[in-house]
Amino acid sequence: MIAALPVKRAISASGTNAAVMTHGTIALRNLEAQIEGLEPNATPSRLGGEERAWLIDLLALRGSILGSIADYKRALGLADLLVRDASTEAAAFLARARTRAVFHRFRDALDDLDVAERLAADAESVDRERAAVFQGLGRYDEACAIREEYARRCPSFESLGALTTLWAERGDTERAEWLHAESVQRYRGVSPLPLATLDFQLGVMWMHEGQLDRARDHLIAARRYVPAYAPAEGHFAEVEAELGHFDLAIALLIPLATSSDDPDYAAQLARICDAHAGYPDDARYWRERAAARYDELIAAYPEAFADHAAEFWLAAGGDPRKALTLARRNLEIRKTPRAGSLVSRAIAADEAAGAWCFSHPQTSHSATSAAN
Amino acid sequence: MSDHFSGPRALADPAADISDVFAFPAPGNPQRLVLAMDVFGKAGPSAVFSNAVIYRFRLRRASIAATGPGGSSFAVDAEEVAFDLTFDVPSGANDTAQQPQRGHCLTPGGETVSFYTNDENGGQGPGVRVFAGQRSEPFFLDVRMIEKTVATRQIAFKKVGSDTLYGTNVLSIVLEVEWAKLLDGGPMFAVVCETLQAGPQPTRIERVGRPEIKNVSLSFKMFDQVNRDLEIRDLYNSEDAFALTPDYVGAYRARMNANLSFYDSLDGKIDWPLDEVGNHPLTRLLLADFLVVDASKPFHETSYLEIERAMRAGRPHATAGGRWLNEDVMDFIFTLYINGGNGPRISDGVDAPIAWSSTVFPYLAPPNPPKVQAP
Repeated sequence: MIAALPVKRAISASGTNAAVMTHGTIALRNLEAQIEGLEPNATPSRLGGEERAWLIDLLALRGSILGSIADYKRALGLADLLVRDASTEAAAFLARARTRAVFHRFRDALDDLDVAERLAADAESVDRERAAVFQGLGRYDEACAIREEYARRCPSFESLGALTTLWAERGDTERAEWLHAESVQRYRGVSPLPLATLDFQLGVMWMHEGQLDRARDHLIAARRYVPAYAPAEGHFAEVEAELGHFDLAIALLIPLATSSDDPDYAAQLARICDAHAGYPDDARYWRERAAARYDELIAAYPEAFADHAAEFWLAAGGDPRKALTLARRNLEIRKTPRAGSLVSRAIAADEAAGAWCFSHPQTSHSATSAAN
Repeated sequence: MSDHFSGPRALADPAADISDVFAFPAPGNPQRLVLAMDVFGKAGPSAVFSNAVIYRFRLRRASIAATGPGGSSFAVDAEEVAFDLTFDVPSGANDTAQQPQRGHCLTPGGETVSFYTNDENGGQGPGVRVFAGQRSEPFFLDVRMIEKTVATRQIAFKKVGSDTLYGTNVLSIVLEVEWAKLLDGGPMFAVVCETLQAGPQPTRIERVGRPEIKNVSLSFKMFDQVNRDLEIRDLYNSEDAFALTPDYVGAYRARMNANLSFYDSLDGKIDWPLDEVGNHPLTRLLLADFLVVDASKPFHETSYLEIERAMRAGRPHATAGGRWLNEDVMDFIFTLYINGGNGPRISDGVDAPIAWSSTVFPYLAPPNPPKVQAP
């Protein structure tokens, strides 16, 4: 007779969120290990289309967690190769659509989704990807229709989480918070990465609303799930700066600006050092570093970085004319309220700079913000 | 890696994704039973076990309840023993340097054996030895040709196939157990491995017993006339292997009947006629999804399903059954499914892994070096 269990080993068919999550450093390390395991084999003879598409998604995920543009570039490159090698596989076009959307190439992404649909991809999968592209384009009603239908039929962490990000972007804070709670309640995984991502989105939402304490709470939660979550760290630093904790903000941003290939951290450092903390030499250093990198990125991926570059030139970059050009370009790509607001702010800054130049004709137009 | 990528939910954390389970008498010591669980298929060098997952080996005493081609089956005890393994967060987990991870094995007697990963000597406690760490993938198969076989509905294997898993690594857990002492009975055991989310109410993430049940036998939807759109594997993973929920058994049975019938049709003849209600003769046996190992029988290199085949033939089994690390299980499965052993061996053209497992602890071969990146 086999002995009954002397040590209680409970089992449940459905979990609760009191369950333990994988530590963020392990989750990130294992994401790295997945990429290490797949990437050397990412050829048609070694990996099938679905696994190659999976690798592309993993690279994009790592890019979003570490704020690594190199990972996004690699994902886009692999997606192009996958479509070349597997031009009859819907999964290839779905993967490329996702990476193109990351680079704000929304029209190209929609074209890929059309091809995927013709190749008999699961219609629901295609629609879910379309919703993400519609959201990027600011076609919120169309995105919402798809996502609400999906959530109605399948109220899961994934479907409600997708709706959370949509309403967060639309600025409906009450609905986004409610959906976030509903979504998290349904989470059944052990990876902290999806939960960290959702908290990050809500943190950004509250930043846009100017509710810094609430933004802080969500960003702290995101960093607790994944300590190395670079964009969460960067936005947390921004919040701290807004709350007047400049030295802390600078201390948080310097490692990011030093290690990341995303110029946003250097741009934030330049802004904080310049406007708040009175470190003009540091501000100049980080401004030049960010400016050079934004110029590189705009040359290579104009759609993807037009909005962030415009924000930079509007603030620490000190070139409202350049900011306006980029903001208009961004608005051509995506007609979101934030894109419209960016153009308005750029016009106002450009006009203000023009007026200042009119009264100070010896000063160049683009130097006004820096001079201020 | 017979069970890798075996359900969307399992993919969310690769360290919880079980790829294979093995059970065999220790080749040099019949008093010891070896149990092995592989997770994290295609693991890169950075891979570590999750601190949020319980890696569980469940064993129940089994006996032969019925024999003969029509309805051979096992009787499995309601009581069981289990070994639970858990892992700490490694110090310096975000460093690039490989820090050993501390693991703990909770035995059925409530004792804890602690050890460090990748220590080939393993941890030792009364009647049990434990290893956990990165090892060479012992499984070998040509996935592309399996997919092509299903897509074209024709056997697509080549004389020389391409091992999809060549040179890859897994995270392995190996237990060597003095079965008479620790398992309090036997000698025939039903073995299933699980990953569970740790917490006040541990939640099953995945379970694996026999090889290639979820992927080769259950995943394909197109032959299933009952649930053509159902991704059945997450549901199947959530079930207790020893007590399937009656509400869902019909769905598993329908899928298994449909897919096994597809395989049977591949050589143009029917070797597995369905019964009067449409059940394939192997469906019931395979849905009892646990390895059955007889620790009193001698170790044998090719023993997978030998007990079950003997039961169907109405003869005593000669080997320990279970599953040995080096067995070419894919050839065995395809031969069984396609011609029932009434024809030539069906080979997928891949006959060996990159490195054979050894007959001494911790059995699985050391990990392969990382490869250079593909162009």
